[in-house]
Amino acid sequence: MALFMMRSTVRIERLTTIGGYIAGFALLFLIWHLAASFLVRSTLFPPPMPVLERGWMLIEDGILQEQIIASLKRIAQGFLLGSAIGIPVGLAIGSFKLVRWLLEPWTEFFRFIPAVAMITVSVIWFGIGEESKVFLIAYTTVFVVIISTAAGVGAVGRDKIRAAQCLGANRWQVFGLVALPATVPYILTGMRLAMSNAFVTIVAAELIASNDGLGKMLWDARLFMQIEDIFVALVALGLLGFATDRSFRFLIRAFAGRFNATV
Amino acid sequence: MVLTGWQTSPAIPGREAGLPVWLSALRFGESKTRGAFVALVSLQGVGKTFSGRTGAWEAVRDFSLDLAEGEFFCLLGTSGCGKTTVLNMVAGFEAPTAGRILLGGAPVEGPGADRGVVFQGHDSLYDWLTALDNIGFGLRLRGMGKAERRAKAEHFLRMVGLTGQGAKHPSELSGGMKQRIQIARALANDPRMLLMDEPFGALDAMTRAVLQGELSRIWAETKKTVLFITHDIEEACALATRIGVMRRGPGGTLKAIVPVDLPFPRERTSDAFMRVFRDVHGLIHDEIHGAH
Repeated sequence: MALFMMRSTVRIERLTTIGGYIAGFALLFLIWHLAASFLVRSTLFPPPMPVLERGWMLIEDGILQEQIIASLKRIAQGFLLGSAIGIPVGLAIGSFKLVRWLLEPWTEFFRFIPAVAMITVSVIWFGIGEESKVFLIAYTTVFVVIISTAAGVGAVGRDKIRAAQCLGANRWQVFGLVALPATVPYILTGMRLAMSNAFVTIVAAELIASNDGLGKMLWDARLFMQIEDIFVALVALGLLGFATDRSFRFLIRAFAGRFNATV
Repeated sequence: MVLTGWQTSPAIPGREAGLPVWLSALRFGESKTRGAFVALVSLQGVGKTFSGRTGAWEAVRDFSLDLAEGEFFCLLGTSGCGKTTVLNMVAGFEAPTAGRILLGGAPVEGPGADRGVVFQGHDSLYDWLTALDNIGFGLRLRGMGKAERRAKAEHFLRMVGLTGQGAKHPSELSGGMKQRIQIARALANDPRMLLMDEPFGALDAMTRAVLQGELSRIWAETKKTVLFITHDIEEACALATRIGVMRRGPGGTLKAIVPVDLPFPRERTSDAFMRVFRDVHGLIHDEIHGAH
């Protein structure tokens, strides 16, 4: 009975959270509407209704989905590649002093060169095809994930490792059964930060060199003065980023929330 | 030197085989001189000096002690006297800078499954595992099958009085429960001895008293040798068969050993208990008042 009541309170909490989000977005659109209709009153700042209508039109024509999928595909590829490199490198930096000495200058150097600054190099190297965008997303992902993962390994409690040792664990067991699971929340947090970087980077990259994607859509809309299209792209970016970040938070909670009160 | 025969003794065979022949012979030999006393652990002139940025710090100096199989030894001292350093050296977490430590005749070289450790804080539990999986962690390291592991872990969960709480994660347990899980985890691995570093230090007085009673019962049930570190005189008097009082640091060393020949469970308000308490208190009094 008590368990059932607990479950139902959790459900009610979840419903209020979702309700809060809906109300928050409604308020945002209301203020947008008021500002555009009564304060600014310029063709350069359309109210939400025409934007949503234009967005619906683009969806019906299948154009918006095409751009969204093009951008998301690049983000997913680059993000997975960057994480696949960043996690093992971060683990190695956190575990071995020698690797730390060798690789820390790299991470400390490259993390101050923003991905946006690498666009030119990337286009020269990889052209304006998919490779340059995937490279840029991977670039912007990898250092955040490395730093967060390495910090996580360093933060594993000394007593956790000692406890495993005096239960008979060898080096590999300490790593695989203690250090690695204890680092998972840090890895996921690093990936979440990297994901928001990836959204920034993909738009910049597509603005400058691309044949499709949301960034290209923004660029074309500017060229042909299609104000509604610009706002459709902006709203799409915001909603996509929001949805991705929520999914990540949900994942972190599902995997790690039970043992990490700070998430 | 108390146990001169040990230096020439051969390497120790696996302890699962029971007492090696030469060890029982030693027991016989010892009984002539010192009564039936077999040292499981022998600290011989052990010292530990830490070197840091601010210079060298001598935590322990010339510390000698023999622990008998099956005894409950409380090492009592003020904060900073080096008692935790002694435990860390027996556990193998730190190497002595002087003297040597023998476990069953062989020198201690790093931590091992023969010495179960219960830590002061509960940060040593694995937050991502359930209470039951925490208890079975050592068994998993040895490759024991899931069903057998589970049955064994359940047994020790029951022993520490947490039946039915096995599916919870450490974050869902109270401080006292977490220490119970730590004790169960160490015992499930069937170590040769338990090393306990102020395990109840962070608990409230009432929880502490309850856990002390349970630990006494568990010790009587399992007959494990225990080295228990504490700064609480009453705790030492309630648990120990012998109390070692340490001189205050730096360069902490044993000041005196007080045998406690009181029956279990101990009646803390009895005259006999009070007498032991007064004796130990008298010994540590100077150390307390010099320490601040």
